[in-house]
Amino acid sequence: MSHDGIHPEPTSFWRKHVFSVDHKVIAKQFLWFGLVWLLIGGMMAMMIRWQLANPGEPFPVLGALLFPSTGGVIQPDTYNVLFTMHGTIMIFLGLTPVLIGCFGNYCIPMLIGARDMIVPLLNMLSFWTLMLGGAVGFYSLLVPLGASEAGWTGYPTLSTTVGAPGSGETLWALAVFLIGASSIMGGINYITTIVRLRAPGMTWSRLPLTIWGMFFTAILNVLFLPVIGSAMILLVLDRAFGTQFYVPATMIDGGGGDPILYQHLFWIFGHPEVYILILPAWGFISDFLSFFARKPAFGYRVTVGAMLAVTVLSAVVYGHHMFTTGLSPMLGESFMLLTMIISVPGEILFFNWLHTIWRGSLRLTTPMLFSLGTVFVFGLGGLTGLYLATISTDIFLHDTYFVVGHFHLTMAASSLFGAFAAIYFWMPKMFGRMLDERLGKLHFWATFIPLTIVFCVMFWSGYAGMPRRYYDHTYLEYLRDLQHLNVLTSAAAFLLGAAQLIFAFNFIRSRWWGAKAPTNPWEVGTLDMAVPSPVPYYNFETIPTVVTGPHEFSNPAIPDGKDWIFQTEPLADRAAAPTDPSAQPAASH
Amino acid sequence: MKTLLDALRSRATWRWLGTGALLLMLSPCADAAMLQEAVDLPNRWGPNPSASDYGWRYDELFTLITILISVSFAIMLILLVLPMIRDRARAGHKASFDHGSSLFDKRFTATVSVIVFIVLDAWVLVIAVRDLREGYWNIPTELEGAYRVEVLAQQWSWNFRATGLDGEFGTADDVITINDLTVPQDRPVVFNLTSKDVIHSLYVPDMRMKRDANPGAVNQAWFQPITAGDFAILCAELCGFAHYQMGAQLHVLSPEDFGAWEQDASMIAVAGFDPEDTEAQWAWDWKE
Repeated sequence: MSHDGIHPEPTSFWRKHVFSVDHKVIAKQFLWFGLVWLLIGGMMAMMIRWQLANPGEPFPVLGALLFPSTGGVIQPDTYNVLFTMHGTIMIFLGLTPVLIGCFGNYCIPMLIGARDMIVPLLNMLSFWTLMLGGAVGFYSLLVPLGASEAGWTGYPTLSTTVGAPGSGETLWALAVFLIGASSIMGGINYITTIVRLRAPGMTWSRLPLTIWGMFFTAILNVLFLPVIGSAMILLVLDRAFGTQFYVPATMIDGGGGDPILYQHLFWIFGHPEVYILILPAWGFISDFLSFFARKPAFGYRVTVGAMLAVTVLSAVVYGHHMFTTGLSPMLGESFMLLTMIISVPGEILFFNWLHTIWRGSLRLTTPMLFSLGTVFVFGLGGLTGLYLATISTDIFLHDTYFVVGHFHLTMAASSLFGAFAAIYFWMPKMFGRMLDERLGKLHFWATFIPLTIVFCVMFWSGYAGMPRRYYDHTYLEYLRDLQHLNVLTSAAAFLLGAAQLIFAFNFIRSRWWGAKAPTNPWEVGTLDMAVPSPVPYYNFETIPTVVTGPHEFSNPAIPDGKDWIFQTEPLADRAAAPTDPSAQPAASH
Repeated sequence: MKTLLDALRSRATWRWLGTGALLLMLSPCADAAMLQEAVDLPNRWGPNPSASDYGWRYDELFTLITILISVSFAIMLILLVLPMIRDRARAGHKASFDHGSSLFDKRFTATVSVIVFIVLDAWVLVIAVRDLREGYWNIPTELEGAYRVEVLAQQWSWNFRATGLDGEFGTADDVITINDLTVPQDRPVVFNLTSKDVIHSLYVPDMRMKRDANPGAVNQAWFQPITAGDFAILCAELCGFAHYQMGAQLHVLSPEDFGAWEQDASMIAVAGFDPEDTEAQWAWDWKE
């Protein structure tokens, strides 16, 4: 049988598993890559929390291996490296590959009814560029004079040779550049694939919301990763080639540059980056809440519109990261207003999620628990954003642990929960094995409870005035009586770290020895659920023709008494119940 | 080998291993708790009371936002948890069918969004703009009796310079101090901030003030102390190896004490002035 529009199946090991152009193999590569880096970045977080709770005590077991010269004690410069690389790794090498690299690659062709990405070769190049970026990033940890220690934001002049003489910082900038290039390649591929390769009948309003989230993320990737790329290239030029884009005239050997230029460039990228990470998670949970509440996604078009609004507005709120930098009052007030406006589409998404599960029939599976968890942590993180969007409260809270708590909940915890939900949901289709549900639920609760404690106590620390990026909060007298908050945070953080071992165990065990997955384990109607698990090389025997939306759960027009229907199956009486959700009357309450 | 495999399969083994791992994870916390007791300090749970003229603005707005978001979060939590309990999948229970795409639904969503925006965001925005214009950004000029301080931050200390009695920067009686700043009570204290090397941030938590010190530019900030006493100054922007050590002391003296102190400090400054010491001549023309 010929499968049009697909490259022939490779036979050699290297072509099949390593230098593959198959989107499903690349998705798995991204997944493994991301999970390994999440483990490394998470371990760094453990070391950070250890140092903060027990300043100057040797880190147990691993410490002696990693820092033999100090007997396992984390030194201030090492500590700075740890939080710098924790941020860089988690964002660029952990979450981005898992959320966007893995699930973008897996979901886009599978859910729109295509046999592969539109340019499979570019897809492979995207992964190997990321691999190169990861290698450079890892190598930067090993060079003499030390790794990058200017924070993941890498503000000059601390990140220029004025503050960081070692080559680690240069390699860090190059790594971020390479990772950015990888994301741009992926983004172009995703956008083009979604526009060009949708199966017949897969109209824009029949796309699963996952695809919408991925589509907007890809647009932001293509628009804003070039900005961080240029900022990094200027930094590399400053560091290695004697230019002075970021070095002001007042300094010894100073030029005519301005360190604030970097902050603008960084945050023009940096704020959209938050949405780059959260939009895929929003897409997943918008679908999963509907799938497991057995109810259509409430207000499909409004949800898509809200995501679009966030995408557009994300470019014009970045100034709220710079309220204490010395922005003019007029700019400050403008950015404050714009930041508050971007909360409106966020609120609308919440209404729609809460409305979707209202009067549903909730199946509290692991992906559903993680989706509900996302709503909880994003709610907490989003609401506390109000303190930071408001300049007069941000002045006190800026660069304290309040900010750390806030962005971890919104950008880290929410997108991580979204990623976990997606892993539990698509694992059966990707690997043909089910993840263990009992361990999955244990993993959820063992993650959710300590995570909430960790970041809520961080809010408390920030509220009390504890600055972030301090090696030791007991050094200055003013902060010494806040140490109990650090101890509490660390205790919860260790439990949070330990809980991930449950996932690691479950993932490894299920990958090879788990129960064989049925074709449609979750009883939903998206296109990927109609093909065998694991998905065959060519994806679809014949390209399907789509006639129904993805969320027709509990529709009375579904034949055979089921509460779901494949997107390729027509509803019983199409005249009475049109399939386009936007045209659906609000009958049958 | 077979016994080992059996042991690995048994639930008891895993229970023991799990408990052991948990205790191992928690043991550092016990250490830390002991350390905490050894330090023997009362635990602080919030910021110290505000000591500046505009500090109440922060405190009141923080409280207002806390109330607003707590109510919002509580409502959200109810709407999230109630369906998890009431609408749980069970035999005979059917989900309702509703795409939520009717005109009514759209109007409902729009109305609620507008209400939430007005109650949560617009309200806070109006107060914040008022506070900024009347407080934080309303930097007094010298005519109103302000006390001026030039701050030169460096890795890892704070250099402070006040005019001394002559009211001019860059003269022999300038009071120059390191990591130690004395200011008068009940007079606006206005700062000109810059940095020698990397970005620092002058953070005076008890005055509710923070402002970056950027190399290559002069930033302004101010507060008016209303309480005499000693307060902490911290660096809030990552500035390298000893960032966490970059603290300074702020002494607020009553007007009488301050007069005497300024007299003394100026005299000492004149006596110790060394025109050859170019390192100490870092003053700049005051930036209004």
